[in-house]
Amino acid sequence: MKKSGKFIFQKYDTENLINRRAALVTIAKAGVFSVLAGRLAYLQIAENGNYKKLSDKNRITHRFLEPERGIIFDLQGRPIAVNKQKYEIIIIKEETRDVEKSLVSLRSIMPNAKIDIEKILKEVNSRKKFIPIGIIDDLTWEDFSKINVNIHKLEGIYTQIGFKRYYTQGESHSHLIGYVSPISKSEEESNPLSKLSTAKAGKIGVEKAKDAILRGKLGNKNIEVNASGREIRELDRVNSVQGNYIQLTIDSELQKFCYERLKGLSGSVSVINVKNGEFYALASSPSYDPNIFSKSISNETWENLLSNKYKPLINKSISNQYPPGSTIKPFVALAALESGISHKETFFCDGKHLIEDTSLDSGYKTFHCWKKEGHGNVDMTKAIKVSCDVYFYQIARRVGINKIAEVCKRYGLGEKVFKSFYEEKSGVVPNKQWKLENLGSRWMVGETLSAGIGQGYFLTTAAQLSLALAQLINNGVRLNPKLIYGTENPNVYDERIIADPKYLKIIKNALDEATNAPEGTSYRSRIIGKYKMAGKTGTSQVRAISIKEREEGLIKNKDLPWEKRDHGLFIGYGPITDPKYAVSVIVEHGGSGSGSAAPIASDIFKYLFKNKLNLKRNEIFNV
Amino acid sequence: MYNQNNIYSSVFAKLQNINCPLLGLIFTLFFVGLAALYSISNGDFNSWPLKHTQRFILGLIIFFIVIIFDLRLIFGYAYVIFFLSIISLVIIPFFGIESNGATRWINIAGISLQPSEFVKYTLILALAKYFHSINNDSSFIKTLIIPLIITIVPVLLVIIQPDLGTALIILLGGISLFWISGLNYKYFIVGVFSILCSLPVLWQYLKDYQKDRVFTFFNPERDPLGNGYHIMQSKIALGSGGLFGKGYMEGTQSHLNFLPEMQTDFIFTMLGEEFGFIGTLFLLLIYAALIMISIRLALKSRSLFSKYLSLGVCNVFFIYVFVNIGMVTGLLPVVGVPLPFISYGGSSMLAVMFGFGLLMNCYINRNIIIEKTNY
Repeated sequence: MKKSGKFIFQKYDTENLINRRAALVTIAKAGVFSVLAGRLAYLQIAENGNYKKLSDKNRITHRFLEPERGIIFDLQGRPIAVNKQKYEIIIIKEETRDVEKSLVSLRSIMPNAKIDIEKILKEVNSRKKFIPIGIIDDLTWEDFSKINVNIHKLEGIYTQIGFKRYYTQGESHSHLIGYVSPISKSEEESNPLSKLSTAKAGKIGVEKAKDAILRGKLGNKNIEVNASGREIRELDRVNSVQGNYIQLTIDSELQKFCYERLKGLSGSVSVINVKNGEFYALASSPSYDPNIFSKSISNETWENLLSNKYKPLINKSISNQYPPGSTIKPFVALAALESGISHKETFFCDGKHLIEDTSLDSGYKTFHCWKKEGHGNVDMTKAIKVSCDVYFYQIARRVGINKIAEVCKRYGLGEKVFKSFYEEKSGVVPNKQWKLENLGSRWMVGETLSAGIGQGYFLTTAAQLSLALAQLINNGVRLNPKLIYGTENPNVYDERIIADPKYLKIIKNALDEATNAPEGTSYRSRIIGKYKMAGKTGTSQVRAISIKEREEGLIKNKDLPWEKRDHGLFIGYGPITDPKYAVSVIVEHGGSGSGSAAPIASDIFKYLFKNKLNLKRNEIFNV
Repeated sequence: MYNQNNIYSSVFAKLQNINCPLLGLIFTLFFVGLAALYSISNGDFNSWPLKHTQRFILGLIIFFIVIIFDLRLIFGYAYVIFFLSIISLVIIPFFGIESNGATRWINIAGISLQPSEFVKYTLILALAKYFHSINNDSSFIKTLIIPLIITIVPVLLVIIQPDLGTALIILLGGISLFWISGLNYKYFIVGVFSILCSLPVLWQYLKDYQKDRVFTFFNPERDPLGNGYHIMQSKIALGSGGLFGKGYMEGTQSHLNFLPEMQTDFIFTMLGEEFGFIGTLFLLLIYAALIMISIRLALKSRSLFSKYLSLGVCNVFFIYVFVNIGMVTGLLPVVGVPLPFISYGGSSMLAVMFGFGLLMNCYINRNIIIEKTNY
């Protein structure tokens, strides 16, 4: 057989040639089959381990299970913050090829739902890709079923049953209890629930202060899913653990009463048990509905809350600081007694008090009493009763600022009442060192006089004032302020006495006169009956009064714009025979303490006296 | 002229001559396919398995009809049959059914058929007749013009459908006959060289999705959720099957729908997942045995036509198997080629049975000598 380029077909012996060519083809086929077999051996034997992992990764999806948040109860065992079931839709970036496409398909299934694709995209892209992001928070059952039917068209989108927080008492408790909303990025590190984007965390109030107790523990499960993400079966599960219950010392009915009484005003009320330090009410007005935070809140609502001049978002019982005004006088009096000044010693009040001041042309500075014509001769009891400023200017000057500050601090002023509240303010009790450190200048004598009537640098909160008064009229027993019931040694007295009861008796008597004797500053608000209240008014200035205004006559509060009016304060206790409750009331820009705050305190005491002296308690056992 | 008695005895004689091992292997493959489809349909015999069975029975009928015909008659009508199949390709753009962006099917009496599946075999038929009939001593290059034209025309018609996979199989099947017929190997060298040179030009004519598939073939991780998805999931299914597989009807990749097209082009993967390497090797061996027997039977024929035809059928069958398994194991791009006898698909089943009918006919009539007169 010859090969020749001359012929197109290589052939002389056709039979032989075909056999040869067929044999070559057969060898090639055998070669190809060997390659295929080798490839299969490589994939199925050598790489088996890797592909097995990939296959499991395909079919097994890990899901976290949201824990139910602990319930918050009041003193009587009424649930205040509870959980309701809700139906929600989430998306997981990792499990969809195109987040936007999935969202658009979702919108086409639910044309009525407001789905802000741009916002969700932003959220999805800013988080880790395996974290589920909530799309719709609170679906109706009809929509929920509709989505479940169409879920195979919605790559990466899932439905789940979650919980939403519901506040049974609405706006009367909102500042105290706070609210929950999605975990923010800054909280991600410290909150294990952040693995679940739909999980919420307390943002303020008890919800935030006790978040670690309330939040519970995440559960998780492994589920087998098909290619479209539908759950086929559950492989294993660790159930979530509900957060612990919390019982507050707050009586929700009293709290509600206090809040209602503040309606239309801007201010706060604090009610404390003088014997054991339990707070029964911490109300603030105006308020907001905490349940709006359970749904995604609109920007407009949020802006309105923020820009409102009455500051509805602020808890005015612990987060707003006010000069205590005349409510400080009982504590200044105590400082005087402890410094050896007799309560019988009288001072003459002619309406003003002068001190040397070389910086002024006249060579002296005038400090005015609130009563222009003066009180005449006043002793300590009368000074407290009629709230004589000149008396307190003089004893303050004799006692000195450091002694006044020491007494005030001993009573808890200038210090946070509830250590765990992030939004709580500590107030300011000024002394020489404080001024040097904070303002960098030396203390002036005139500043001691201002401090003596609770003005100047002095700042307090309503809760502080009620606590301070409680410790004053319980014969000087140091109290442990309590808000959470059943913790922190319930009903156990801290036996430490922080003042001489002999002095306190004098002050208590003066406070009694201030309310229950004619000419007393809160005489008009006195309670007639078996149980009586007593207390001290306070009016704190928020503006400087010029010499010119003094000469022309003071502008009356009602003629001033709201934000220029004086704050009205009142601290009181009752019943006077065996004191049980101490109350502080602050009415922002309410004018005078006697006119705005004392009547509210009076009503609260009437409520307390009428509704059995002992508030009902019903212990909730932690589950 | 035969009388009736002669016809019966002649048919009986033909049936007696059937090669049983080959038919046995075909049945084996059918049952493997049936088992696979039963698993995929989650134990519902009435869906895919039932239709698969019906198609196999229809295929068997075609197989036996082809056997009964006189080989000389088939030889005589080879060009006519080829021409008819080309006509069916030509009318597709006008009467065809569109699906997934491609028009490949025509509806004949309520049955959707894919003519391109049959053209693979009719081309072999026409080429076999041509190469049988020419004078092999010809030194004129024009001898090659006709077979080149009858190969290129169906290939182009299928490319425009567009169905690159089937076009490639038709082309490779045709070229394999050029080789078998003894064409000087230097023409193959020239051919391969000119194809390589024209690749950049051909590339321009590829549809975007076809280009994507080629890109993806070279780098499946390029877009694991897009075009690489098929290949990745297929490899995961095969690889996770391991040596012994996950067990019959226990394949997670297939039963949880991670495998695309698992009842058709990717059915091999599903078997690999459930039966492991043992299963895939077993299947590979059955195919190898079937091809070996086919080659042996082909070489027993005395006429060139029979040899060409049988070897051509065998080559087309081999290409089917190779491209499909190569594709699902990630050795070849995803081109959409079914696994013969096992994949769910009517046209493929009927065409393959038609092809093996021709092969068996050649074997039964292996002693018939066909003159070159009909050229």
